Amino acid sequence: MIQLFNVTKAFQRDQNALSDVTLRVAKGEFVYLTGPSGAGKSTLLKLICCAERPTRGQILMDGRNITQLGIRYIPHLRRNLGIVFQDFKLLNRRTVFENVAFPLEVQGRRRIEISKKVYNVLRQVGLEHRLSHHPLQLSGGEQQRVAVARALVVDPLVLLADEPTGNLDPDVTTDIMELFKGANARGTTVVMATHDRSLIRQFPRRVISLEAGRVAGDTPP
Amino acid sequence: MIGQLVYFLRRALRNMLYSPVLSAASIFTVGVALALLAFFAIAVLNVQRLTANWAAELAVVAYLEQPPDGTVLNRWLNEIRAYPEVAEVTYVSRQEAYQRFKKRLGNDADLLEGLGADVLPASLEIRLRPEQRENTAAVVERLSRNKALGELHYGQEWLERFEAFLLLLRTIGAALGGFLVLAALVIVANTIKLTLYARQDELEAMTMVGATALFIKLPYLIEGALQGLFGGIVALLVSFVAFRVVLRESLGNILLLTGIDTIQFLPLAWQGLLVAAGALVGLLGSLLALRKFVRFCQD
Repeated sequence: MIQLFNVTKAFQRDQNALSDVTLRVAKGEFVYLTGPSGAGKSTLLKLICCAERPTRGQILMDGRNITQLGIRYIPHLRRNLGIVFQDFKLLNRRTVFENVAFPLEVQGRRRIEISKKVYNVLRQVGLEHRLSHHPLQLSGGEQQRVAVARALVVDPLVLLADEPTGNLDPDVTTDIMELFKGANARGTTVVMATHDRSLIRQFPRRVISLEAGRVAGDTPP
Repeated sequence: MIGQLVYFLRRALRNMLYSPVLSAASIFTVGVALALLAFFAIAVLNVQRLTANWAAELAVVAYLEQPPDGTVLNRWLNEIRAYPEVAEVTYVSRQEAYQRFKKRLGNDADLLEGLGADVLPASLEIRLRPEQRENTAAVVERLSRNKALGELHYGQEWLERFEAFLLLLRTIGAALGGFLVLAALVIVANTIKLTLYARQDELEAMTMVGATALFIKLPYLIEGALQGLFGGIVALLVSFVAFRVVLRESLGNILLLTGIDTIQFLPLAWQGLLVAAGALVGLLGSLLALRKFVRFCQD
């Protein structure tokens, strides 16, 4: 599903965020990216969603080389991705329903279809009773569940999550992980960056370790 | 297609409601700039009507020292009528001139008591074709060859001065209006830019779910155009109220003396143009603001 060939990313001269990374994530796989802060986890996720371009190397997504993808094709690539951030990045002026509906509006889906899908996914994350609330009226765990719902509503091929449980307590973390497991069981490839070792022990999956921008280990579940 | 348009329009209106003070500032600025332009337009329009009136009435008057006999008069009339510049020639006898003057004096007509009709000279009133107005001097020069015609009067010089004044008015209006419109443009651009900075997180989230640059920008373009449009409507209302309360009175006092019977507000087409200009200023302002956000929106 995702292939990286000798990918290097340098933000400054002689200071690589990623150095010569080669890895392959199969379709339907669940992979943890782990490592200390500054290891290059977030940079790798940004390269996969084309928020950054590699300095060297090639990246293939579902067999398509996205390294030199034209700017106008990037939004179309992102429509097949679900992205979850540590700080949620919800639209605080919009209701829960509107936040989750937004990726579908962007794709120009019909209102009736949007309503149905949004309601279903909110039920899946257990927030169907909160659909008219605004994000700031919700707890951190609920906000992250809205963010997960927003990522899942488009039935993404790949779910990218950057420290999605970083700000959450253990019970809420388990809830969020169950949602990721569910999406993965339905066929979505999940790539999740975390430095939480206990979480990896609790939900064991393949672990790719990064250190100083290089792949330091690749451990199967 | 219409559904999409309604969607973007709703988002634009909602954006405006989220920042009412900024939006009101933009609308107000566009309104003031365009209202000032409208005042100048009203002044120019009415002065222009005045000069058109004058131009239509412009005549060369030849005062005759001695009224000619019928045969000579007919010869002169035919001769002058043959000039290509001339539309009409009328002979005004001493008697007719006396009657006209008496009528014009109205209640003061008794001033003429004791004076005979022969106190005023007979004259030939020569009206030129409007398109030949600039050839007035040539006609006067030709007429002056006939020494019997005596003194020749014509208002060309006044008209030229008035047209120069009109040009000055137009230039001041265009310069001041242009400056104000530019200021309005910058203010609209800054309003939209402030809105964009305030919603940077939102824009980032939009790009991450696959929104195209156009999808993100369109509501802001519509927002700018709507602010300009509302500004244009405000300008129209303000200039209409000002016209009714102040301009009609003051302009009237100046222009009524000169023969224009009514002072006019902007014609419907100009009103439409004013509102459309507002929308255009708003649209350009938001385009200006969004230009710097293109990279951000597309990355």
